[in-house]
Amino acid sequence: MDYVPHDLETIRIMLEKIGVENLDDLYVDIPNNLKIKQLNLPEGLSESDLLKNLTELSEKNHIYNTSFLGAGSYYHYIPSLVDSIISQSQFFTAYTPYQAEISQGMLQSIYEYQSAISRLTEMDITNASMYDCASALAEAATMAFFVTKKKKILLIEGIHPEYIETVQTYCWGRSIETETIPLDELDNKLTDEIAGVLIQSPNFFGDIEDISQVAKKIRSKTKKCLLIQAMSDPTCLGKLNPPGKNDVDIFVAEGVGMHPSFGGPNLGILSVKKKYMRKMPGRLIGLTKELHGEKEGYVLTLQAREQHIRREKALSNICSNQALIMIASLVYLVSLGKTGLKNVAMQNFQKANHVKQALSQISGYKVLNTKPTYNEFIVKCPNINKLIKKCKDDNILPPLKLSHYFPDRKDEILICVTEMNSKEDINKFLQIAKEAAQ
Amino acid sequence: MTRKQLIFEKGYNALINNFTPEMDIKSIDFDTILPKSLQRNEEINLPDVPEFEIVRHYVNLAHKNYGVDSGIYPLGSCTMKYNPRINEVTARLSGFLKIHPLQEENDGAIELIYNLGQQLCEICGMDAFTLNPAAGAQGELTGILIIKKYFEIKGIKKDKIIVPDSAHGTNPATSAMAGFSIIEIKSDENGELPLDQLEFAMKGGDVAGLMLTNPNTVGVFDRNIDKITEIVHKYGGLCYYDGANLNPIMGIAKPGEMGFDIIHLNLHKTFSTPHGGGGPGAGPVGVKKDLINYLPCPQVIKNERGLACVENEGESIGRIRSFWGNFGVLVKAYTYILALGKNGIKNAAQNSVLNANYIRTQIKHKFTIPYDRINMHEFLVDANLPNGVNSEDVAKALLDRGIHAPTIYFPLIIHEAMLIEPTETENKRELDKFIEAMLEIYEEAEKNPEYLKKGPYNTEIGRLDATLAARKPCLRD
Amino acid sequence: MEFPTDLKYLATHEWVKIEGDIATVGISDHAQDQLGEIVFVELPDTGVLEKGAVAANVESSKAVGEVVMPVSGEVTAVNENLEDEPETVNSSPYGNGWIFKVKMSNPSEADGLLDAAAYQATL
Repeated sequence: MDYVPHDLETIRIMLEKIGVENLDDLYVDIPNNLKIKQLNLPEGLSESDLLKNLTELSEKNHIYNTSFLGAGSYYHYIPSLVDSIISQSQFFTAYTPYQAEISQGMLQSIYEYQSAISRLTEMDITNASMYDCASALAEAATMAFFVTKKKKILLIEGIHPEYIETVQTYCWGRSIETETIPLDELDNKLTDEIAGVLIQSPNFFGDIEDISQVAKKIRSKTKKCLLIQAMSDPTCLGKLNPPGKNDVDIFVAEGVGMHPSFGGPNLGILSVKKKYMRKMPGRLIGLTKELHGEKEGYVLTLQAREQHIRREKALSNICSNQALIMIASLVYLVSLGKTGLKNVAMQNFQKANHVKQALSQISGYKVLNTKPTYNEFIVKCPNINKLIKKCKDDNILPPLKLSHYFPDRKDEILICVTEMNSKEDINKFLQIAKEAAQ
Repeated sequence: MTRKQLIFEKGYNALINNFTPEMDIKSIDFDTILPKSLQRNEEINLPDVPEFEIVRHYVNLAHKNYGVDSGIYPLGSCTMKYNPRINEVTARLSGFLKIHPLQEENDGAIELIYNLGQQLCEICGMDAFTLNPAAGAQGELTGILIIKKYFEIKGIKKDKIIVPDSAHGTNPATSAMAGFSIIEIKSDENGELPLDQLEFAMKGGDVAGLMLTNPNTVGVFDRNIDKITEIVHKYGGLCYYDGANLNPIMGIAKPGEMGFDIIHLNLHKTFSTPHGGGGPGAGPVGVKKDLINYLPCPQVIKNERGLACVENEGESIGRIRSFWGNFGVLVKAYTYILALGKNGIKNAAQNSVLNANYIRTQIKHKFTIPYDRINMHEFLVDANLPNGVNSEDVAKALLDRGIHAPTIYFPLIIHEAMLIEPTETENKRELDKFIEAMLEIYEEAEKNPEYLKKGPYNTEIGRLDATLAARKPCLRD
Repeated sequence: MEFPTDLKYLATHEWVKIEGDIATVGISDHAQDQLGEIVFVELPDTGVLEKGAVAANVESSKAVGEVVMPVSGEVTAVNENLEDEPETVNSSPYGNGWIFKVKMSNPSEADGLLDAAAYQATL
């Protein structure tokens, strides 16, 4: 099955009009020694065989009844209309909206997304989205370098380990120095040589940091340094003080409204203060009006920032956004609305803290967070392997063993509890924890 | 009012939808969980909109958008082919859609990643692939960082990359992200890279590599390709293949056999995954054996015990994003390659070339074709029509006829560039409709140019003021 | 297209007007024409910059042009009117479209600048 519509007669007619005899004649420019005989791949499959093949493969992955695993990818309830809307074929089969007159649907959707995220985060300006939170954070670090012309970035411990590594890769590329420090060393490390401070809150271990205090510290000690906040699960913003209220210069986060899908696709939110609007990477949509009429409409704008115009002087080479996922995030936010978002955040806070309290009552378990937490927290366990095994036996996706990222932290787990964990799930998990301690 | 309502204007001020599970545990005083100083004080400024309003709003917006499903979409260098529906089904199988990236019971996902990597190796003639990059541009960055790492580990200082003047704008931008500066070489009258100039640039000794698209962005296959890679290698450089234009040669020739060391692909172009209105895509990167250690982490490898996931073992460029890339997109591309098989892949390539040459030969008596010879999957037109009608005017006139415009003003080497790529999935009726429209527009340019300069007329909205948008940016409501 | 003879020029399309030790800088008529409709001018911060450093950027919707320091010195004034009306650079490149003023630290550097005829010969 190759989705080519022509029959042999049509091909013959077309070849004749081109003036060659057969399809091979179209490849005269490729030297013969470079032409291959045949690919070493199987014959093509029918659609029904494809479905069978892929279904079998997908079934080699285990689907659990419930999950206590987060660590950068979260199970939330996704309203059915989200998938229905991103399945609209004029959305998902379109290219980048270069021809604005026949792309107003996508353009307006992006404008609404930029607006919705700005409303949620209380930041001034949001772009049309980046690949994911990790790369958005890396580009934000680069942006701090472009804005301040300084070549050192401070990362505060507690940023997702995969984000830290991504920032390090991008910074290595541009010879920007990075240093990871604990938050309480920030005072000592803040000098006028620092381009930006990167902090995650709620952080990888679940701690909610007081970002406004971090901002005050940065403003009091340096002139230009940017404060950049990352967030893995922005559903917390239903109840948590938003970055725009905390003097954050650049905010990045993972998107909402997508299933985990083994980690992608999702998107990276990137929002900035207005003064950095023309320094931000990524696509931006703006409102304008007709040249020869009075109707208002939307176009790609501020393109002088981008690679196709600024070329080697561009901040980033990014030339797409995660448009379809962006629509999913937008529809998720709009579907829940302010009431639903508040409700989801509240449930995550309450349920996770319920489990946190209950676990700390079980002998042998110790909650290690000393700061407030959202839907994740870390716990020292009496018998981590037994706990993990028992979870799996009961068809529960177990919490993350911290040793996955921090080999020394062998007894600790990162537990995630969301609105998807019912009372029964929670009680079962607590029961397992109790049994695993014996 | 001339503006269409935004979704925010369709809301009410009370809870209407009910999506979230019922709260089934006893809540405690919220202030004991989160101190007041960290709480959100003001309501989120998002309305509560009834579900049906939301669906109607976005379905109506979708209807104002043109997709591949609407008609021919001949955007040069973008390969807008049909997006098979089975791909959408397989990517949504719950065993793919709902698995967590950190869960250990992931054999199916790991096997898919490995198998797809192997297929791409076979198609491209490379030794290993990473599927982590989220897009073509991120693939490019990955490839260029691999070049940086290669020389860094060897302790050789080389800080320049050669690109032809017909290159994608991403090539110089990407090079800069890895600390390289650019040497631009002007293409010759055949649209090919002049060997003497290449050799001259390489002789400088500070060139790390060459980035090349082949077939290039004027749609022709560089006949000297093996000599080009030989020259670059002779002076210790690496050859990077920008896979934007792989479609016409897959199953015919392999970039690895042309001498390329690194390649990035765009699964959303060549391998039929939907463009989604600008993403998500995927930009896998393939390398030759000597460069495998530099690939980003994590990777899936095969050892004596079977498939295994490996992290950074010291020489990797590191991580370029979280987890395993745009896995959902990988499922779609894998489905597509299995659907086509060895013969289908070749057939797709050949017919993409057939369709492009068909259009070229049917309009060349009117339109200027700067590189008029058998082209590959796309060809370049210099749309400098009579009476000052330009490329943009032709594009808008096509929109008026219900046809998506080709890529315009790229590549930069032709002033009124129009790059036409029909892809193999368009039928002859659709190609003829496009040809007829182009010829009609040419005639109109002769008779009524002023009309064309103010188009389009039949679209949702007329030509928009891009200057106003950039002068007085309004980026949110 | 005009190239006033009382101004000096750079091959990179800046013009310079020397008055005492103050140099006023803008972009030439040719440069504004090449860029097209100007949508934004990124003005420099005040402060000391070396000759050849990029001081400002002029953006149109299809291109971007850098404005380099024609001479070393301290940027003492910027044309803030351009923040709201960047199109002035199109309409009056040598007048109200000036971009910044420099207090020269080494006035002899101005001797190396091109006169109108020499600049026109580079176009």
